[in-house]
Amino acid sequence: MRRIAIVPRALGVLALIGLLTAPVWAAGHPYVLHMLVLSCIVSIAAVGLNLMLGYGGLVSLGHMGFAGLGAYVAAVLMVDARWGFWSALGTAAIASAIAGALIGLICFRFRGHFFMIVTLAFGLLLHAVMNNWDDVTRGAAGLPGVPRPAAWRWGDTVISFGQLPNFYYLALAITLAVFALQYVVVRSDLGRVLGSIRQDERLARARGVNVIVFKTVVFALGSALAGVSGVLQVSFLRVAAPASFNMLESINTVLVVIVGGAGFLVGPAVGALLYVTLPEALRLANEWRLVIFGGLLVIMMLFAPQGIAGLAYTLWQRITGDRSAR
Amino acid sequence: MGEALLEQVINGLMMGSLYVLVALGMVLIYGVMHVVNFAHGVLFTLGGYVGVFCYQHLAPSYPLALLLSIASLAVLGLAIERLVFHPLDGNLRNQVIASLGLILFLENLIIAVWGATALQWKVASTEHLVSIGSLQFSAHHLGIIVITLALVAVLGVFLKYSRFGTAIRATSQSREAAIVVGIPVRRVQRSSFAIGCMLAGLGGGLVGPLFLVFPQMGDVPLVKGLAGILLGGMGSVPGAVVGGMLLGVTESVSTLFLPTDYRDSIAFMVMVLILLFRPQGLFGQRIRGED
Amino acid sequence: MKRSPMLFSCALLGLAALAWPMREVQAQSPSSARLQIGVLTSLTGSMAAPGVFQMNGFRLAVEEVNASGGLTIAGRSYSLELKVYDTRANPSEGASAMQRLATVDKVPVVLGELSSGVAAAIAPIAQDYSLPLVLTVPTGPNLTEQNNPFLFRVNAHNNQLNQALADFVSRQGWAPISFIAWNNDAGRGGVTGMRQLLPAATKDGYVGYFNVGELDFSSHVSNVRNSRAQAVMLFMDEEPGSLAIRQIRDAGLKTQIVGTLAMGSDRFLKRLDAQRLDGMVQYNAFPPNADVPRIRNFSQRYKAKYGEEAHGFAAQSYDGLMVAVAAMRAAGTVNNGKAIRDALARIRHQGVIGDIQFDAKGQAHPSVYVTQWCADGTRRILYPDSVKAGCGAG
Repeated sequence: MRRIAIVPRALGVLALIGLLTAPVWAAGHPYVLHMLVLSCIVSIAAVGLNLMLGYGGLVSLGHMGFAGLGAYVAAVLMVDARWGFWSALGTAAIASAIAGALIGLICFRFRGHFFMIVTLAFGLLLHAVMNNWDDVTRGAAGLPGVPRPAAWRWGDTVISFGQLPNFYYLALAITLAVFALQYVVVRSDLGRVLGSIRQDERLARARGVNVIVFKTVVFALGSALAGVSGVLQVSFLRVAAPASFNMLESINTVLVVIVGGAGFLVGPAVGALLYVTLPEALRLANEWRLVIFGGLLVIMMLFAPQGIAGLAYTLWQRITGDRSAR
Repeated sequence: MGEALLEQVINGLMMGSLYVLVALGMVLIYGVMHVVNFAHGVLFTLGGYVGVFCYQHLAPSYPLALLLSIASLAVLGLAIERLVFHPLDGNLRNQVIASLGLILFLENLIIAVWGATALQWKVASTEHLVSIGSLQFSAHHLGIIVITLALVAVLGVFLKYSRFGTAIRATSQSREAAIVVGIPVRRVQRSSFAIGCMLAGLGGGLVGPLFLVFPQMGDVPLVKGLAGILLGGMGSVPGAVVGGMLLGVTESVSTLFLPTDYRDSIAFMVMVLILLFRPQGLFGQRIRGED
Repeated sequence: MKRSPMLFSCALLGLAALAWPMREVQAQSPSSARLQIGVLTSLTGSMAAPGVFQMNGFRLAVEEVNASGGLTIAGRSYSLELKVYDTRANPSEGASAMQRLATVDKVPVVLGELSSGVAAAIAPIAQDYSLPLVLTVPTGPNLTEQNNPFLFRVNAHNNQLNQALADFVSRQGWAPISFIAWNNDAGRGGVTGMRQLLPAATKDGYVGYFNVGELDFSSHVSNVRNSRAQAVMLFMDEEPGSLAIRQIRDAGLKTQIVGTLAMGSDRFLKRLDAQRLDGMVQYNAFPPNADVPRIRNFSQRYKAKYGEEAHGFAAQSYDGLMVAVAAMRAAGTVNNGKAIRDALARIRHQGVIGDIQFDAKGQAHPSVYVTQWCADGTRRILYPDSVKAGCGAG
């Protein structure tokens, strides 16, 4: 059981306040809000992968395939069938969950390399469908005209989500809910059992754990979250395009989770923020951004596989002399 | 119809040869170090870039360009093995993720250095045409098939009959036992990795003049190579050869009946089907427990 | 095994050292006022090759405007500068970059893009921020069907291009006709549109799609051969186009080849050779050697600056920037997006590709030509009849 000391808690509260008041202190710089929305979107998918990879030990290389599945389900529902945002979001999440469960069941027959390869294959398959099934997805050109959520009316006040600050709050709310969900899952029995499966699957099975069921649940959950991220993304950008959900994007998501810190609650947030904002902060020429990230990933694997959150945690332990087990 | 079939079979053998080169490299590395090197595709790409660089800036000799390409990939392979894979030995997840990082690093480094537009590599053998019946192919096409088959033969003999080849096979069967009998396992690992990278580089150098040299050119061969070794059986060298060739020919012949935009999906579906119904592939052994 | 933190820090420092010199350099601020014009294009990725033409067109226009004293509005003189973002044909990056141009760089107008997918993503943002967007290359017809008053397009879209080409092709009596196309907006749109316009007799041919990045056309070649097509239409860009044609000819297939806008340039010729290209026709927005003063003039200036022959993408982009500048002049402002948009809606501009006037949907109606490669590596114009010209004048 981790002891949460005062300082990290205070930092967390400060960060939360900062996020909640962002439209105020970033008033003259709407681009900051734009980046924060993107970070929210990336972090939601990263939470899904964190649950699978960080807590469940399942290295999925096809995560964005599920994000794309959710994105396109919602996009088609909203554009062709004229559904509202929330019903489309719910349906997309369920669709991604079901797909995750089914595909997961196929993948769980394998361990190690085979598991990774088969998740890669499914990610590629999903992407190929998005790219080629013109009648439904409009193919490689993308599906334009995806709407923002309908405006909320309350007497005289109208909150339109076409405006960036409003959409930002929506994205932030969903993101906070997702992180809360992650917290609940990790602290629950599900989280503990996952941990035991990750550490030694054979032992867990020997102790009577129905490994397949737990793996399926976490895979479904992770895929559902990926789907939610996809829906948010296409509503924000108002276009769904296969390029956002290809193999390289799946690899980037792994990068986000690992660099942020796999198996840590704040890992996805740290990784997502870094991934979205670092190129801006360093004002890197575009092609060098991914060179640096790639190099960073390799270096972190060699020296700090626990990621930034893990490093911070270790540092904190050193400073406070806290020796309690993880 | 027979003619179209023959044309596609020969095309399939050529593409299959490229897949075999990638698959062989990956299977060697997998056998000895028990890790799938996902960065193999980027190494393939680098082979093409180094080759075209040497050809255009050093000397317009294609064999020399190929040789230099192979040599530099060997050096790079040794460096990667020493700096990335060896320190992470034993931790599969981290090795795989590190290799993913290598993909991003190298592929984008190529873009940053050489630019994003495709490079053209004009070589004499692509201009000579050879007729087979009423069909026509460039000499380069057929050369790829011949070179690959020759290489496979040489590699087979090397692995089966030479001392070092036997050492490689022994290490891939059981590392502990190899150490016990005094095989220089570290040297075997380094050499296997280097040979694997050399094969990838050769593939890139061979395909460069035929198509174009561009930063993403290794992405597809990576997936096809993976499918090839799954089909043939992880850890099996003859399996990699058969799997790669079979995949190439199947893809090409399939376009006679199926819409071509799904051609790539055949590789993915092969992967999934094999894993579902015969995970050990055509030639592999069913390994119990891990991996 | 615990790695030493020292080694870790060294590795990180090494990475930083690699990154440091690659930072974007801020331009020095000259004495006259600078005006940034936003540009979205593909500098890397699959569309990098046409991206070069697009950027060349923009840069030539900027240079000429600045050389003649810059843009003068209400007594103030501005020297133009391009603020370029690489979207890599990815709609998500495009949307981000567009947002940035609107809210951080605060440019008066945005030009460019190559991919219709990206254009579809950035158009709503243009509307949100009242920022006029002038497209110069994307050909997706539905882009101008979205009722977006802030979207303008200088180049012809697929339906317009196909109309001209179909007109020409149907007169030739080729049947059946095969198609090989890129599996994306340009490719699929081109094929669908073309098949609707062609007479029924031509419709039996083989239709094949390939994914961006795929370079092996052997299966397509085989299928085209089997379908006994008299002509094969290639809807793709110059890189795969050169390979497709090479493979078609190397396999001994002698059918008539019909290509796109991208396959009419001198740069394209250098990828292959006149022998393989001889007889191939393509639709063309801008035959650089045509004996029309505005065309000849532009080609000379382009060649002087870039050392290669001009291309339609460059001419369209050049015109795009010039028309934007003209609109700003007419509106008398470099800040008011709505005013600039209104000026664009009304404008009549003499461009190098012809007269530019936007209809109610923001679409211009430039001429479309059909050119053909001759055995000596020059082109001739075959269509429209009014401007037919011999080899060397295309």
